Amino acid sequence: MRISWMIGGAQGSGVDTSANIFGNAVAASGYYIYGNREYYSNIKGRHSYFNLTISDKPPRSIAQQIEILTSFDAETIFQHFNEVKDVLIYSTEVENTKAEQVQSMEPEITEHVVKFLKEKGYGTTVKDVINYLKKEKGVKVIPIDYMEILKKVADQAKVQLSVADRARNTIAIAASYKLLGLKEQYLINSITRTFRQEVFAKINTIAAQLAMQQIQPMYNLPELPNNEEKINLDGNTAAAIGKIYGGLRFQSYYPITPASDESVFIEAHQTVFTVDPKTGEKRKSTIVVVQAEDELAAINMASGAALTGVRAATATSGPGFSLMVEGMGWAGMNEVPVVITYYIRGGPSTGQPTRTSQADLMFALNAGHGEFPRIVIASGDHVEAFHDGTWALNLAQKYQTPVIHLVDKALANSYSIIPKKTLGMENIRIEKGKIVINTNTPELKRFEITEDGISPFAPLGTARVHYTGDEHDEYGFIAEASENREKMYEKRIKKLMTADKEIPEESRVNVYGNTDSKVAIITWGSPKGAILDAMEELENEGIKPMLIQIRMFSPFPKNLMRKLLNGKEFIIDVESNYFGQAGEVLKLNTGIEPTHYILKWNGRPMMRDEVKEGIKAVVQKGERRVVLHGGA
Amino acid sequence: MFKKEKGGWFYMAGLKVEWNDWCPGCGNFGILSAEQQAIQELGLDPKKVVLVSGIGCSGKIPHFIRLPASGVHTLHGRALTFAIGIKLANPSLEVIVNGGDGDQLGIGVGHFVSAGRRNVDLTVIVHNNGVYGLTKGQASPTLKLGVKTKSLPKPNINSDINPIALAISSGYTFVARGYAYDVKHLKEIIKKAIKHKGLAMIDVLQPCPTYNDIHTKEYYDKRVYKLDEDPSWDPIVKKPEEMDDKMSKAILKSMEWGDRIPIGIFYQNELVSTYEQRIAERSPSYLDNPPAHDVIEFEGKPTTDVEDILKERRVT
Repeated sequence: MRISWMIGGAQGSGVDTSANIFGNAVAASGYYIYGNREYYSNIKGRHSYFNLTISDKPPRSIAQQIEILTSFDAETIFQHFNEVKDVLIYSTEVENTKAEQVQSMEPEITEHVVKFLKEKGYGTTVKDVINYLKKEKGVKVIPIDYMEILKKVADQAKVQLSVADRARNTIAIAASYKLLGLKEQYLINSITRTFRQEVFAKINTIAAQLAMQQIQPMYNLPELPNNEEKINLDGNTAAAIGKIYGGLRFQSYYPITPASDESVFIEAHQTVFTVDPKTGEKRKSTIVVVQAEDELAAINMASGAALTGVRAATATSGPGFSLMVEGMGWAGMNEVPVVITYYIRGGPSTGQPTRTSQADLMFALNAGHGEFPRIVIASGDHVEAFHDGTWALNLAQKYQTPVIHLVDKALANSYSIIPKKTLGMENIRIEKGKIVINTNTPELKRFEITEDGISPFAPLGTARVHYTGDEHDEYGFIAEASENREKMYEKRIKKLMTADKEIPEESRVNVYGNTDSKVAIITWGSPKGAILDAMEELENEGIKPMLIQIRMFSPFPKNLMRKLLNGKEFIIDVESNYFGQAGEVLKLNTGIEPTHYILKWNGRPMMRDEVKEGIKAVVQKGERRVVLHGGA
Repeated sequence: MFKKEKGGWFYMAGLKVEWNDWCPGCGNFGILSAEQQAIQELGLDPKKVVLVSGIGCSGKIPHFIRLPASGVHTLHGRALTFAIGIKLANPSLEVIVNGGDGDQLGIGVGHFVSAGRRNVDLTVIVHNNGVYGLTKGQASPTLKLGVKTKSLPKPNINSDINPIALAISSGYTFVARGYAYDVKHLKEIIKKAIKHKGLAMIDVLQPCPTYNDIHTKEYYDKRVYKLDEDPSWDPIVKKPEEMDDKMSKAILKSMEWGDRIPIGIFYQNELVSTYEQRIAERSPSYLDNPPAHDVIEFEGKPTTDVEDILKERRVT
């Protein structure tokens, strides 16, 4: 069972908060949620919306076609009316607004809407859209007189109308919540938990109650047993908590969308407790978070901190990573265990700051001059983002090299409500590798040539150690002689071979579905969820493919990939970029090329219904390259 | 005795460098000696001293120092950023930054200015020779407009940066100038800079015998004079209300250039909180249990408790 719900409104009108209130209330009734936030690069006024899926088991994606659309402005209706299947809740105040009058709407969108309505023989007001939906699509439309409710709120709460007006979004969620037929009290609880200030708790509670009085339940969802602890986890927060749990003690960053939320979260939680395993005593620890002057500084500060033996990281997005390339090269040359959490947004240049993309895979794999080992991992869901927070820190210290953790924006700004136990915290381990502490060696061969390429690491302050971005000898002193160059160069690269040997290939790939199928889908990052949900729906239609999700791109799990892809008729590469970059990496490492592609680069996340159609187009019609266009 | 296994040119057991690759007569020798003596006279444990440097001739200082101090030879212009990371992760280390004027006031000037806002307890030494030595003598940010040093095809087309005024206006809390050939005087300034609680900057006038034929030893020898020889010169801020006045006087003094060039301490203010103190105000355990000393695991199990954080995410 899956129900898709959407709320839209101007940026700054509380769309995000209300979607969370709604989601938490639905979750309190025993359901699970996956939701995604779409917004412009703007502070106030532009159209933003939240699309979420409700299900009796954890959903992993959103859908393009939604059951319920709730709104309190005109633009939401114009932008999304073609996506609604069941119900539209709208404000009577905007009935006469014409598409051409919505100033915040981009001309391209207005043009499409006007053209569409005219072709269907309708005018261009909200009322016309309503009529169209009623008559031609069988959509139930529910008008709400927001002003009437708000006046009552002002009256009952004894506040001015301008204050009560801030509960507009709550009316929209309450009306749609009532349609589900779930316990009203859960929504009220969710509201009072969100608004700590009494006056706002009050106006929003009254608004919700008044809105719910007007609506008759439509879906009559049963309350499900809710006996396990559930948490709400978005990608930024998941990675942040994963890093904190994994022992992160230093994070430097420069503000950038969609990465900063992670650093801000860590700073808000910078005082953490560590528990003495013997006495159980709690001790306060500090995570230093520095807002640097730019990304050049951000990565270098993290590298500096890492040299003291501290687990250190930075978080950024494409434009910031471009600046970090210099510092990453130094970290590669000096074998610094530094982690870069790389939130991918649309490029090139400023690109689309708030929209998703997977176009930076090749960049992450190749950035920097010269050759040096790097480890690149990619999360495909929120639980993985949590685990990878620790995993990246472990890999960095174990192999003494930069680790890039890729999280696309569609994962960063979406959230899952999942059972807490799925985090599997009991399985998380900290591995530090060859750290030498309290060494009596006055001078350490920090870059000792070893069999596995990994040398002893002594934190600054515990022994004399030397670092330089120049080629160096085993002590870290500049050395240009040719024989040393050959050996030292190879020693660094060897670490990648060591990592390749030590890290089981099975942990670098996730395999789902029917492994005997002739159809293999390969993907990475956020599309995973949409593909898995689509696969579930495709089963009824007799299409039962295998899905291979790549978790680590460097070192690449080439043997396992060869084995898994052996004899497949279809190798469908699904990802959010133009070139099919993961497919390119596959080809480079194994010689195997994808046979088909399902690609998307419009900046919106992959959605299960469009992915489902895409897979069908490939498997049933043999389309070589399907491009997805979903999302306003 | 030359010990190859100790890293090429380096000789560590004694206190004598057999050879290093700076040009004969380079001002860097004086700066290196002064730095070394300052560390020794202050009785610092060399293991706890980290020399962080940028790129250029000055950047090689950690390779040439004759003390068993650690060295982090970083990127062009970025030494300060690494130094801040090192110091904040482990505040018990003594971190000294070395870089040229091109390094710190050209490519790294953004970091130089931004560091002032933080006032991390570091010492920054600017090797100021007016040229980019290692790339054969192009004009550096401290070279004055219209000046033509040896290898410039035409006179300098840019105006110069005043390192003292820039440091003061950026928020550095100890700002001084030394002269590479007055090692004794420079050493005393470095000692004070290291002892200073906060971000210290020393602008060191440094002849480049190979590429700067204007600002030579002879040029400086007859011009430099010591500020502390004037009994009325008092650069130390003792009360908050003195700050503006002392800052202005120091900046005014930094404009003096020509027949007489002042060296010594221009400005010192320990009333401004250090970044370390600011972190400790937010997270009181910071100085007792800084990141570098924290125990994050026990037998591979994380010791960090994230239950409270997860509780915030709980849905009920």
